[in-house]
Amino acid sequence: MAAKLNLSGQPDSETSSLNDQTVSSRSSNRSVRVAEKERRKIEAEDPFVLALKYFTDVEAGTPVTGNDEVEKHLVLVEKAAYSRGLSPEAISNMLEFAMSLRMGTTLCARVLKCLIPATAVPQEAVVRAVVWLGVGKIPITTQVLFIKWVLTVFDMIDAKDQLRAIYGFIFSFVTDENLCPYICHLLYLLTRKESVRVFRVRKLLELQSKLGRQPFLLHLLSLYKVFCPELVTLSIPSRMRSGFRNHNSPWKSVLIGVQKRNGSQVASSIAPSAFMVKDKTNSRKRKYCHLEMPALNCVINKQAETGTSSSRKLVPVVQLNSFAQLLENMHHIELPAQMGSLLGSSLALQYLDCVQDESALLRLNFWLGYALHEEFLFCSDGGASQNSEEALQFLNKLLSTQHFLQEGFSSSEAFLYKFLNVWDGSLFRPEILGLLSNIPVIPSSQIGRLLFEPLMQLFFTSSLFFKCGLMECLNNMLLKWLTWHSVYALEDDLDISLNSHTSINMTLSGFKDSVMELVLFVGRLASVGLQLEGCHSLLLSFILDFYETVCDTFLKYGLPLVLMPPPGVFYPALFATDPVNVDRLAYIMYRYKVNLTSAKSQERVTEQAFHISRQTFREFNNYGVVMANCLWNSKMFHPGMGVQLGEELLLKSNVPQYSASFDLIHHPAFMSYAVDFHQRCWPGRKDMDLNSIKLSKPWSWYLEYLFTQGYDGLKQFFQGNISRQQTAGDGQGDSVSSRQR
Amino acid sequence: MGPGSCFRLARAKMADDEGAGVPREQVQGGTQVQFSQVLGGQALRCVSGAPWSVTRTPLNSVRVQRRSKSKSYRLSLRSCLGAASRLGLTPALTARRLNTSRRAPKSHNITEKVNPEQLNLLVKTEWQLSYVTPLYQFRHTQLKSYSRQLSAFIAAEKQQGLAVEVEGTHGSFRVSFCVVQGMAEADDDAETVLIQIHSKPLFAGKDEPPKAVWSGWLTCINGSPDYLRSLPKDFTCMPLFCSSGADGLTSLVKSWFQRTFDCCFGQLEISHTSLQWLVALWTNCHTESAIQHLKMMWTLPAVPPLKVTYTVNGPDAWQLWSSVRKQQHSESNEEEEEENSIDIEEVMQFMQGLKSHFYRHFRLDLSAGSLDQVSTALGSAKCSGRIKISKSKYMITTLTLLTECALLKMPI
Repeated sequence: MAAKLNLSGQPDSETSSLNDQTVSSRSSNRSVRVAEKERRKIEAEDPFVLALKYFTDVEAGTPVTGNDEVEKHLVLVEKAAYSRGLSPEAISNMLEFAMSLRMGTTLCARVLKCLIPATAVPQEAVVRAVVWLGVGKIPITTQVLFIKWVLTVFDMIDAKDQLRAIYGFIFSFVTDENLCPYICHLLYLLTRKESVRVFRVRKLLELQSKLGRQPFLLHLLSLYKVFCPELVTLSIPSRMRSGFRNHNSPWKSVLIGVQKRNGSQVASSIAPSAFMVKDKTNSRKRKYCHLEMPALNCVINKQAETGTSSSRKLVPVVQLNSFAQLLENMHHIELPAQMGSLLGSSLALQYLDCVQDESALLRLNFWLGYALHEEFLFCSDGGASQNSEEALQFLNKLLSTQHFLQEGFSSSEAFLYKFLNVWDGSLFRPEILGLLSNIPVIPSSQIGRLLFEPLMQLFFTSSLFFKCGLMECLNNMLLKWLTWHSVYALEDDLDISLNSHTSINMTLSGFKDSVMELVLFVGRLASVGLQLEGCHSLLLSFILDFYETVCDTFLKYGLPLVLMPPPGVFYPALFATDPVNVDRLAYIMYRYKVNLTSAKSQERVTEQAFHISRQTFREFNNYGVVMANCLWNSKMFHPGMGVQLGEELLLKSNVPQYSASFDLIHHPAFMSYAVDFHQRCWPGRKDMDLNSIKLSKPWSWYLEYLFTQGYDGLKQFFQGNISRQQTAGDGQGDSVSSRQR
Repeated sequence: MGPGSCFRLARAKMADDEGAGVPREQVQGGTQVQFSQVLGGQALRCVSGAPWSVTRTPLNSVRVQRRSKSKSYRLSLRSCLGAASRLGLTPALTARRLNTSRRAPKSHNITEKVNPEQLNLLVKTEWQLSYVTPLYQFRHTQLKSYSRQLSAFIAAEKQQGLAVEVEGTHGSFRVSFCVVQGMAEADDDAETVLIQIHSKPLFAGKDEPPKAVWSGWLTCINGSPDYLRSLPKDFTCMPLFCSSGADGLTSLVKSWFQRTFDCCFGQLEISHTSLQWLVALWTNCHTESAIQHLKMMWTLPAVPPLKVTYTVNGPDAWQLWSSVRKQQHSESNEEEEEENSIDIEEVMQFMQGLKSHFYRHFRLDLSAGSLDQVSTALGSAKCSGRIKISKSKYMITTLTLLTECALLKMPI
């Protein structure tokens, strides 16, 4: 026994149960015994065991102040208690140490606070401690603390018979005014019919006349009355709140944590009902508890179905423990009573993934929609801010579920359309934007009112970070729409169905309209957003992310739609001060070209009438020419280009060689590369003449140099568009993509 | 947001306390109302928008039959549009609003249809309203079994927290479910279900009869047929839940319903607009059944909030009301009563008339405040969602309005 002091938390409770199982085979038994010996040897040096031994053996009257040893040991015990809980023996020893006041009263309370049982509390320990109460040296607050502790761990005390045997002794503490409420509760838990005696009733009544009609007295009396109505003549109000106030606050959270960590086998076997009650009262106190996930329960009301399904045995989802079991029972799984509970477990989600049952999903959607509406829309007095932690968890759970299923719930979609109108753009921003990116395609006639109007207001009134977040969200939304399209579009390309179970079909052109609306909307947002934020490069980067998706719609997702970015996006990207964005623009232009060329050739081959408008080609060619002229040809303000300035005005600006001011050498984004290149090329030169790079040889070296710096977009654009790979100079920009006309 | 939309934004607080100087006075009715004011009143802001408008997805004319795809899990990708076609209405795409016009209440001879004993249980009690999402696999034929289950559930819940088995408490609550036959109006309405809980007090004498400690009912009167028909067969929609009794029992009953029928309960407030509707609907009954007085409680956003109780004598209210009614007198044939409908504009004009009258006397514009409570001899309603129906004759009209409010709260 003494050697097993260490039981706490070490996995030996499991191994010992293992021992029991293997006891039949002798050989293994022996090896286990050897292992046991080894283990004990090791444990003898375990500091925790030593600490416990210290508290068991320490002599009364050992000074506390300045005693580093006791401090060290106590910290060890506390650490163990808070992380894994204490074994019954440890509880027993520590309780004895505390209550005997061997080292004074201060340590007593401290030890009591860390008495977190890992499994059970030995009854003897509690009885001994109660006896110590009678000695009367313990300060009253500590006495109260002790009784509270007993009440907290009451369900974990391994037996109650000895405690009941000292009922009378415990009852005697009732006269203490401070202890009375707690003692009453304890007595309430211990009372049997035989404990109800006339003198006790009389004592309680006497107390009541002294203290007034206290609920704890009334509760105990009402229990007495239930057992022996003839002894208690007092009339007791019938509408009394049942139960005592729970006093387990100092230990509750730790205890639950410890039990969770120690695994469910302990928690379920002991199942401290006291906490369940406590939890319930908690939630009752809270006004808003819509976000509570319902428990996974079986259907109670089975009569309704028994007629039809008696032939097959249904397996409730609750009983499934593994994916294998799920597969095995796939065709006769009984849904839980409350579909909302499925969100809680990953196994259930896997099942939800293949549920065919329309009603089941509708139930889930009703619950989900209800929870979202109540929490974020109907609550009038800022309920959301009160329990933001809980709401956050809920939203994250919902998001991870939607990611798992790769689709959004219709109820969350319906909720979002309402919520966007009242959203301030900051409450749960990442979560709401995450949900938003999951919404399915909206028909173009509705998309403006449902999505664009509220989003536009939010976009223009919010911070840069919101703008970036929204851009990312819209990009994700577009990606999902396009992915759905590429997966679900039919081969005949006439009709895509977004949803195999509903009668709603969306024609290809309907889908195209919606996508077009979205892209144009983002174009508008982006143009104005860039102006508002002074072409912030972070925002620009998010916008270019979006256009990276847009430029590839045809080749990557098979949607015959090519939309160019508006000038408000193109020019800020082209003149951006950071080279990465310019490079990405070049990459996007390159992909546009590949897509357009391929669309053109396909159009020619299949003669299928999907028409990419002439306007799109014109815009693309225009952008291409501008880019080539600007970066390569140094013909910045060439007449006929998108950006035009009057000659006189340019002269007035006193910018030398204004037409070259945005080529790859003088472009603010690449200037540093040009300088670096210059230094490497002509290390000896004192005066820097960047224009010398323009000469044919250095120019091609310079381009090579840029491409080696990782600017693949520029490289692809260059190789794809500048047909004559040639030296610096003139005219080759004109050849850019003209064959597409 | 129209006034009928289901969520209220925080009302902008009025900075100036215009009415602070006015004594908290109860205005007794009986003064003649200036009708000229009413008709020439300021422009009214009315709610527009079609009631329950069903906006179908605009599909292109080419509608090719899809290949039937192997059933994929895409089911849950029920977009709003999907829901539109399935549920018959687009919950999010069309902002649902309260009906802007409704039939004038006509006295129902409900006493002939409904068992008067049951009817007595429903009237003259103040009910707390809740909305309920559709019940899954609720059967009107299994009420007996539900009674047993709920009794057992309540007993079990009451036992929790008692460490010692206490005999005697068990079975002290007896639950009875019953159908209130004849309440349903339209074909799609589910029959009303009444739940009562009787209890024998724990320490009562043996022969004392059990007392009804709690009662509640679930109902659906003239629910939107589009919505009701869109639900699959497994669902029973009784969106309006009225309860009266101890809160503890209410929450027990609710949680039993939640677990058994996978539904959710939420608080149902009676909005400002709905209260104004009630004012008009009740006043409209005056000729047939005197309303005695029309009493309205307003709260004005002064600091501290100014409570105004405004009482108008029944006949005066009726006179004002009949002056704003549009076609009532022009075609006052008895036969046309059937078609008689009341428009939101008339309601707003009526309210405006009442407010202008108040303003003339007290220089206090009630439009700045909110209507919290309405009561007449026919019943009373509070914005917190408590309602009392005193005359069974007109209860159908009131319940129709409340059913509509409850359906507006449905998440999908």
